[in-house]
Amino acid sequence: MSEFESLAQLTVVAMVPYLLASLGTMLGGLTGVFSVAQEGVMVLGASVGFLVSYGVGSNTVGILAAAAVGAVFGLLLGAATTYLRLDQFVVGLALFFAATGLAGLLFRVVIGQSATQPLVPTLPRLEVPFLSDIPLVGPALFDQNALVYLTALVTVGLYFLLYRTRAGLDLRAVGENPKAADSLGIKVVGSRLWTATAGGALMAVAGAYLPMVYTGTFTEGIVGGRGWLAIALTFFGGWRPQYIAAGALFFATMDVIALRAEVGNIDVPSQLLLVLPYVATLLVMIFAFRWARVPEFLGRNYDRESRTA
Amino acid sequence: MTVPTTAPTTPAGEASPEPRLRGPVRLLRELLPYVLALLLAFLVSGIVIAALGYDPIEAFRTILSTSFRTGFGFTETLTKWVPLVLLALGFTIPLAVGRFNIGGEGQLLVGATAAAGVGIVYADLPTVVLLPLTLVVGILAGAVWAGIAALLMGRFGVNEILSTVLLNFVSFQVLDYAATKVWSDPAAGVAATRSVGEGARLATIGGPPGVHAGILLAVLVSLATIVVTRRTAAGFELRASGLNPRAAAINGIRVGRIAVVALIIGGALGGLAGALEVSGVHGRAIEGMQSNFLLLGIIVGLIARGSALWVPVVAFGIAILEVGASSMQRTVGVPAEMVLIIEALILIFLLLSDVIAGRLARRVRT
Repeated sequence: MSEFESLAQLTVVAMVPYLLASLGTMLGGLTGVFSVAQEGVMVLGASVGFLVSYGVGSNTVGILAAAAVGAVFGLLLGAATTYLRLDQFVVGLALFFAATGLAGLLFRVVIGQSATQPLVPTLPRLEVPFLSDIPLVGPALFDQNALVYLTALVTVGLYFLLYRTRAGLDLRAVGENPKAADSLGIKVVGSRLWTATAGGALMAVAGAYLPMVYTGTFTEGIVGGRGWLAIALTFFGGWRPQYIAAGALFFATMDVIALRAEVGNIDVPSQLLLVLPYVATLLVMIFAFRWARVPEFLGRNYDRESRTA
Repeated sequence: MTVPTTAPTTPAGEASPEPRLRGPVRLLRELLPYVLALLLAFLVSGIVIAALGYDPIEAFRTILSTSFRTGFGFTETLTKWVPLVLLALGFTIPLAVGRFNIGGEGQLLVGATAAAGVGIVYADLPTVVLLPLTLVVGILAGAVWAGIAALLMGRFGVNEILSTVLLNFVSFQVLDYAATKVWSDPAAGVAATRSVGEGARLATIGGPPGVHAGILLAVLVSLATIVVTRRTAAGFELRASGLNPRAAAINGIRVGRIAVVALIIGGALGGLAGALEVSGVHGRAIEGMQSNFLLLGIIVGLIARGSALWVPVVAFGIAILEVGASSMQRTVGVPAEMVLIIEALILIFLLLSDVIAGRLARRVRT
């Protein structure tokens, strides 16, 4: 494999957590439920995913368990902001704290103080015959772990659902103008609930991906701000799957560059390279917030009985 | 384009106009949700602790009593209270305009790094000069750090939640650079800067063991915040901009400008917290010194519903829990993370009790 091919492969690997978490954010946001709990839900997903797959001995079960826990947190956010109409940011922050605490607590209770680092096997690469031999992009696209393929499917699937079907149009209408959607018989609360739930599941899987692909174990700083970056990425991608995917490529490239430059003995302080993704994001957001349009009702609750809004 | 932030997004946002109550009844009405939230939070977490196979009564007794059993525990609580109250105010002041400052961690670290830098470089200066200089530089560094986010927000419409959070991650590397390349202390055992000069250290009050004099500054800042937000024109404009930005703008209040200033002030308080940690507690800047002050500060601010009056009180309560947490882990064996869950539960139950109180009030009226 050439240098470029292996770097491309690494970049695609690094795209997945950003892409999944950001798609989860987007899905809830398109109906108006704006989560700020990503970072916490991802840490919790990483913890639960790791612990379950360590206990059961199956990564698949671990990922499913993480998805289930993430879905519960998404549902909580959805229910608190629809039925109770609590402030979305405040509830999101509260869930962020609860998830962070729970992640650490579970790991501490199950693993405790062990002398040896508990490990789960990382996901194996599944090579697609022939296609993976395509020069330059072959290994990056067709010699990856199962979650990479799954993420690609989710991205394409969401694109078709949201922009090529009637159901998707209805969903987006809820985020743009819930009152109008409601008057047309679209179920506002129902769609807010299920998108928030599915979004939470995607975020948790994004978290579970980290121990299962990178480290094989759970550490407290494992997510390292990717959850927050995912929010930025969602704005950057204008709340559309195809642009979010492109943005994830950018974020992943930053990651890989920082990593590679650190290993590669370049005469630059390593700290400067490590801040690269964050600084680049800040700069990019200046432009992103100019051109990106956000769902009109993002972060706002819908009260059917209210006369305004 | 920013995320639309509605009104002052405090948990009490939906509170409906209540019938006029006086004296003790009113106080009771105000305290009741807190009492309920506390009880429920402890009840639920007690069940969790019991399910994990520990004794919940013993765990809670340790959590709540550690701060008061020994002088050492009490000073530790007061020492923790200082950064908590400062970061909480740094969160609630921008919150009054509907802005979320999630960057307290970064503002604290940058303030600490700058303060440590001054304390090291000018180590020979006498206290009268060096100590104020250290604190002022820390405050300025925090203000500049938040100022970046404020500039991005005011000038380019970049969402302040994102910019302040991202700057946290940059600040880790700023401190790391200072602690490993510029003023590194290889003997420290952890990544840390060298010790600051004697002139940069704060005196200790009371004791032994005693609390650093920075606590007086924290008290002063709390009082000043209460007076300014409730009794001055600037405070009125701040609250008006948050309550109804449109009405405020129509009446000639420059809402955008106020949001920027509020965010910068929040950052300055974070910077002060960092400088006080250096001058009063560690005597140097250490990686990881921010602990989980950011989360706790936000929790304090939200539980206090953004009220400057309540922040110091709630911060003291959270400091008790935090000091008790590590002691509980040592003696009872329950992981300290449990306390973060208790705190999150208090917040969640407080939100729920608001909803219930609101519905009850509506039913009584109609």
